[in-house]
Amino acid sequence: MSARAARGRGRQGAWNALGIAIFVVMVFPVYWMISTAFKPEDQVNSLNPTWLSLRPTIRHFRDAIHQPFFWNDVVNTLIVVGITVVIAMTLAFLSAVAVAKYRFTGRKLFIVIVIGVQMIPGAGLIIPLYVVLARYHQVNVLSGVIIVYVTAVLPFSVWTLRGFIIGIPKDLEEAAMVDGSTRLGAFIRILLPLVAPGLVATSVFAFITSWNEYIFARILLNDQSKQTVTVWLSYFLGSSRHTDWGALMAGSTLTAIPVVVFFLLIQRRIAFNLTAGAVRG
Amino acid sequence: MRTRVFVAAVAVVALGVVAATAGASGQHRQANKLTVWLQVDAQSGWPDVVAAANAQFQQDHPGYTVDVQYQNWSDHLQKFDATLAGGNSPDVIEMGNTEMTKYMAAGAFADITSSKSIFDNSANWLKGLAASGVYGGKLYGVPYYAGSRVVTYRTDVYNKAGIKKLPTSLAQFTTDARMLAAKNASVKGFSPVYIAGTDWYFAMSFVYDFGGSIAKTSKGKWIGNLDSPQSIAGLTAYKSFFTAVSKASKTSDEAHPAPYDVYSQGAAGSIIGPGWYSCCVGDKFKTTTAQFVMPSHTPGQPMPGFLGGSDLAIPTTSANKALAVDWLKDFISTSSEKALQAKGNIPNATNLLGTNVNERAAARSWFVPAAKHWVDVENGNILRNMLATILQGKLTVKQAAQNASDNISLVLNGS
Amino acid sequence: MSSNPLPDGMAIAAETPWSRQRRRLTWSRLARGSVPYLLILPVLAVIGAVLGYPLYSLVRLSFQHYGLFELIRHAGQSVGLANYSSVLHDQIFWHTLLRTVVFTIANVGLTMTIGTALALLLVRLSNWVRVVLMSGLVLVWSVPVVVAVQVWYWMTNYQNGVLNYALTKLHLGDFFHHDWYATTFSQLGIVTALIVWGALPFVVVTVYAALAQVPRELVEAAEIDGASSLRVFRDVTVPILKPMLLILTSLSILWDFGVFTQPYLLIGQAHTTPSNYLMGTYLFEEGYIKTDFGRGAAISLLMLLIVAAMSVFYVRKMVKIGDVE
Repeated sequence: MSARAARGRGRQGAWNALGIAIFVVMVFPVYWMISTAFKPEDQVNSLNPTWLSLRPTIRHFRDAIHQPFFWNDVVNTLIVVGITVVIAMTLAFLSAVAVAKYRFTGRKLFIVIVIGVQMIPGAGLIIPLYVVLARYHQVNVLSGVIIVYVTAVLPFSVWTLRGFIIGIPKDLEEAAMVDGSTRLGAFIRILLPLVAPGLVATSVFAFITSWNEYIFARILLNDQSKQTVTVWLSYFLGSSRHTDWGALMAGSTLTAIPVVVFFLLIQRRIAFNLTAGAVRG
Repeated sequence: MRTRVFVAAVAVVALGVVAATAGASGQHRQANKLTVWLQVDAQSGWPDVVAAANAQFQQDHPGYTVDVQYQNWSDHLQKFDATLAGGNSPDVIEMGNTEMTKYMAAGAFADITSSKSIFDNSANWLKGLAASGVYGGKLYGVPYYAGSRVVTYRTDVYNKAGIKKLPTSLAQFTTDARMLAAKNASVKGFSPVYIAGTDWYFAMSFVYDFGGSIAKTSKGKWIGNLDSPQSIAGLTAYKSFFTAVSKASKTSDEAHPAPYDVYSQGAAGSIIGPGWYSCCVGDKFKTTTAQFVMPSHTPGQPMPGFLGGSDLAIPTTSANKALAVDWLKDFISTSSEKALQAKGNIPNATNLLGTNVNERAAARSWFVPAAKHWVDVENGNILRNMLATILQGKLTVKQAAQNASDNISLVLNGS
Repeated sequence: MSSNPLPDGMAIAAETPWSRQRRRLTWSRLARGSVPYLLILPVLAVIGAVLGYPLYSLVRLSFQHYGLFELIRHAGQSVGLANYSSVLHDQIFWHTLLRTVVFTIANVGLTMTIGTALALLLVRLSNWVRVVLMSGLVLVWSVPVVVAVQVWYWMTNYQNGVLNYALTKLHLGDFFHHDWYATTFSQLGIVTALIVWGALPFVVVTVYAALAQVPRELVEAAEIDGASSLRVFRDVTVPILKPMLLILTSLSILWDFGVFTQPYLLIGQAHTTPSNYLMGTYLFEEGYIKTDFGRGAAISLLMLLIVAAMSVFYVRKMVKIGDVE
């Protein structure tokens, strides 16, 4: 092996080691959560922390699943989040194309509105939003929550997708325009694959924001059978009588799984070599 | 491929919309449904009592259902406010007894004075608990249950330290605590008596024990009274007691960490709190745990305990007030109260009282000033700040008490 | 025939008599001209329908005395600018504002620098390490805030927190029974760590996706030309990343300035006092806990104005970038 290649290998090893180190530090709290979910009761709350339990138990997972309405709430959350992501991504993509690729009067105003909406403090809107939704019977139903989540996620999605669309290098775009189709059709057909990494990243954000949202879900959903999984989790904490830490950590681990699965399924789309070969004479 | 993805997405949305709006049709307040908000304590503590009350109600009113929705203490008031503004409020709501006055003053609850005689034992309701449901001479809330504070202790640890007799005075307790500390010096951070620094429910007991109070009225205005000589004596006694017996963080509150968690780790010889703390002391110490009444600085008396508790009220926005009264009748019936008592709570009437440690502790009790802005004093953490400042030594007891007193006067007299 | 065929509509128009041609031209131009408006209509409709009335009522509330009493009767008393005046004359408001500005700068600074660095690192990793690190980041991202707060509280708690234990074992001092929540600086420091930790995955994933748009060919061409990796970064990568970085920074500013859940839950309602208020918790305490909804509305709108002022620089830059030619 040449000296240069060896240096390359060594440097690669150093980067990898750094990557692993950062992984360990970042993931530690999550590790703590998951390992606690498997600890027997006396180790959960011990004076000296147990790093890795040698007597793992699945009792907490059983307790968590048996907490009332677990499966209902999981299904509710999947419905809410799924619909929110699909609607929000579609609407946001269309707007992002308009803002990034067309010059029209009111463009700047639209941008200001989109950014401005993000600046409104969410906490201030709790009761006014509740009043409006109640008037249209959107309280205690999933559609009310979906409406709120789509609105919450839209501005950011429009904004980020615009960034991705602008970021597409000009020559890739022009190469795509050669076949002479109408402007909008070309944009959609050509832009979509180029912007795919951005769409994926944005949809992950929308997914996670909706999955983890708590305040509005809590205020809007009263029936325990209609609630989402974050509200379900809060029942472990809200009682003034004995927080079951093990079950809380087990419940949290369970609620984190779908998000990770969702991401693992789509993470390959953010792969590096997507645009390779797009510009060929 | 892309069209397939698009079609699939549309299908998902369509199905989802159907699922999501299912239930919207049932949105209108059904005439034959009663909505009840109870705290999660009932869900985990006495679901059988709730079920029995519901069964009785449904027997008396065939065709009606009771929808019990459990709430958390941390956000149930914000949720209630939202429903007061926008609709969908419950027909019955459980309120903490310190939360009642503000809402009664604002007119949130229905006047049920005329129904008082319907409720079991209403002539014998515990004075302290029942008072929190009365405003301007009218009844708005019925007492649900109460709790006082007792000392939960490790019998084995106390025996090993040579404590033969349970203390009957504060001074004796302090001496006993020193013996506990000496015997358990090997356990790092061991607290003979674990008390959270800013546990104002406990600290104010000292104030009342020495004859002071948090606030008093004079000519229609509230005046903070923590700077009176008696109150200051109480606070000073609290500071000495805490310093001698507790290794807890001076800024911690009584829920973070939960004292029974500290106890179950073996880091406390005793803890002070509601009687139900004995539920959660951990398997290791279940058989070596017992309770006694917190002694006053005057030998032979219990220290006045904070009479915490819950009331049940009917919001004015309810469309089913008569039915709600009926449900309440079933829920706080004598049999229900006896069941609650069996679970470690204090029942709501004197004729139901027994002699367990919980109830003996309630013989001397204190309660917060009946001011409509009291809740703002609590939520503004005025007492907690005062205690943390005193224990950390940032201000003298006199200065901290003075500041708190002024603050309290300001808040209680607000508009 | 022509090597650059016009879209159908215009080709036809070129051949008809003037009057019909004129109508055709304007119709098709209108149809094309209305495209952007049709594209943004759904988003505007959703935002307008959902937030229109709440915003209007927020503004109206800010000019009223509206407490619990008024809430129950659905009617407030008009008091003009009294709410605004009371807030602006309140020492607490100004102290909180200053504290929040410092807090925001710290959070945004840390998030953006560490996040971008991590994204650049991701590019250089071997495939398997990249997947591991990405999965780890998404794992962090997937933990709901309410749970993350509980775990962090637990790790940093006074009685038996892992943090104290580890620091003591690493001989970094005696951290036994160290109270991380004793001083405002320490409290907000832990909150900052929690927020940055939770915000990193999003920033890293987004910047990494943006990096994926940098064409390999350009990078390789520059490297073949002999440019050092720093120059490649500066001349090729940064210009493409710039819009995304600006967007992320401005969003971080918006979010961190108004952050509420983490400080409120981690510090706890029992310890939230004017000495550690951030604008988010200040708003919630004044508006909701004290049920002074008029005052809360005034604070919300003031926050909106302040944040708008803070982001003007970024917004103008962003609007300029990618201006359609």
